[in-house]
Amino acid sequence: MVTSGGTPEGPFDVSLIEGTVTKSWQADELKRIREKSTYLFAIGSCAINGGIPALKSTHPELEVGKKVYQDLSTIHSIRPSSIDAYVHVDGFIRGCPPGERDLCEALTSVLSGKQPDFLEYSVCIECKLKGNICLLVAHNMPCMGPVTNAGCEALCPSHNRACYSCWGPMRQANAFALAKKFEAYGDIFRGHNQEVYSIRFCHCRVQKGSRVL
Amino acid sequence: MKISIDYIARVEGEGAIKFDIEDGVLKDLKLNIWEPPRFFEGFLCNRRYDEVPDIVARICGICPVSHMTTAIRALEKALGFTPAPDSITLRKVMALSQIVSSHLVHLYMLALPDYYRLYSIPDMFPRFEPEIRRLNRMKKVVNEVTALFGGRALHPVSMVVGGFTSLPPRDKIEKIKYELENIKDDAKETLRMVSDLLFPDLTHNTEYVAISSPPHYAINEGFIISQNGVKIGEDEYYSIFKEDEVSYSNAKRTVIKGKDSFMVGALARLNLKFDLLHEDAKEAAEEIGFKVPDYNPFHNNLAQAIEIVHGISECRELLDKVILRKPEIGIKVREGEGRVLQ
Ligand code: SF4
Ligand code: SF4
Repeated sequence: MVTSGGTPEGPFDVSLIEGTVTKSWQADELKRIREKSTYLFAIGSCAINGGIPALKSTHPELEVGKKVYQDLSTIHSIRPSSIDAYVHVDGFIRGCPPGERDLCEALTSVLSGKQPDFLEYSVCIECKLKGNICLLVAHNMPCMGPVTNAGCEALCPSHNRACYSCWGPMRQANAFALAKKFEAYGDIFRGHNQEVYSIRFCHCRVQKGSRVL
Repeated sequence: MKISIDYIARVEGEGAIKFDIEDGVLKDLKLNIWEPPRFFEGFLCNRRYDEVPDIVARICGICPVSHMTTAIRALEKALGFTPAPDSITLRKVMALSQIVSSHLVHLYMLALPDYYRLYSIPDMFPRFEPEIRRLNRMKKVVNEVTALFGGRALHPVSMVVGGFTSLPPRDKIEKIKYELENIKDDAKETLRMVSDLLFPDLTHNTEYVAISSPPHYAINEGFIISQNGVKIGEDEYYSIFKEDEVSYSNAKRTVIKGKDSFMVGALARLNLKFDLLHEDAKEAAEEIGFKVPDYNPFHNNLAQAIEIVHGISECRELLDKVILRKPEIGIKVREGEGRVLQ
């Protein structure tokens, strides 16, 4: 987007890949970039977890397409997936929008030849460090903080709203326990025809761990 | 002669364009937006009302505020909720800060390199260092405005259906007012810089469309007007416009029924409601000799620079009017329908 004059061919020291894979040519291009890159990082929730475009998988393919186009004959889209479904990824720069801290951490680590130190705990930790009153416990708000990877400095709870998990799931998140808690609170946490916890997992299609360099 | 550009660089989104020219006459032109479809309209069905603004924000990383505000207003309309006057003012502040930020990116990062035949922003160093520094100064302040009320500049979190979940302390608002004051000269300088560019000479008298709600330079809400006399409410959109699918592109094409394409954006707005601009913007436009109507589409860049002056001054003024009350968000869910335009 930011440059004209043709696509550089590489080799690349570091590649930052954003976006969800929804076309087969994107997967091919991704593999080519991987081959030419020393380091490849996934940046942003789409590349890491499928993000918002992956919500399409919560409906049957044809149904979701028909709501948008009358003529689907020229519209092609494969099942959305994160980029590590296709290539090896050297690290995840989380967030939607991606966080500055993790981006700097990834790049400075490459420059200085060390392992990047990505945050591997939940938003709750950041929230407690800030001294916030817990919205989930004290106000019965459907906060996704307990299962969401840290990095935003508990932005939403600090603004009096429940976390909706734009940073994506943290490693070993116990989504099931949180879902049960939501369920006990009642219907306000329930979507239509959907798993209780999936309603707030906007950015987390799958639960997965993260790998580092 | 056939010209085919497979990847239009330095635009937001992914597109290609094909021209077919015979003896100097354009025979065929195809704009193909090949950006993969994401099906937002499809997967939004059956979701909770309060998830919609956060989901649609992700349509675009440059203009999330517009998408969120549209969703919020439509849902409030459907739920029969009237937002507090303060929320309306703050939404305007949010919208203005984002429009200025988007215009800045477009002018300095996407358009400017073209006028100097450079490939990208990095190529602009060192010759354009003062300009890039000016861009950074302004962008930083307008992003801070969005973040002050939205929690963060991109995909704000505190702007929700019903109002705002939290408000900043007074002293931070005073500080940002001071900073907006400080970039007013940079805004005027931006306009002078853009007015010095060599624009191709072209007259294209299409139909200009914008929203309008005098005496304000409408933002977020208003009638749909055009210079050919269209004046309809926002819920009557489909009485005049229609969206067509085209086989060679993933994006739909909107036309005025029985007529043809039309133009929206900064130039359209100026052509339709120049008189309602902030005095600072009118003065600055006069200084560079800009007059409406202006039918050169390349002058959209000029119009954006004028709107930058307008946006900063208007934002600064609106902030004087904000009375900070404890936010109350009393939404009662009911069945309903709401159509709005941004
Ligand atoms: S408010 Fe949310 S993020 Fe903060 S401690 Fe409670 S559950 Fe965790
Ligand atoms: S939604 Fe959650 S992860 Fe995203 S900014 Fe808010 S608190 Fe942080």
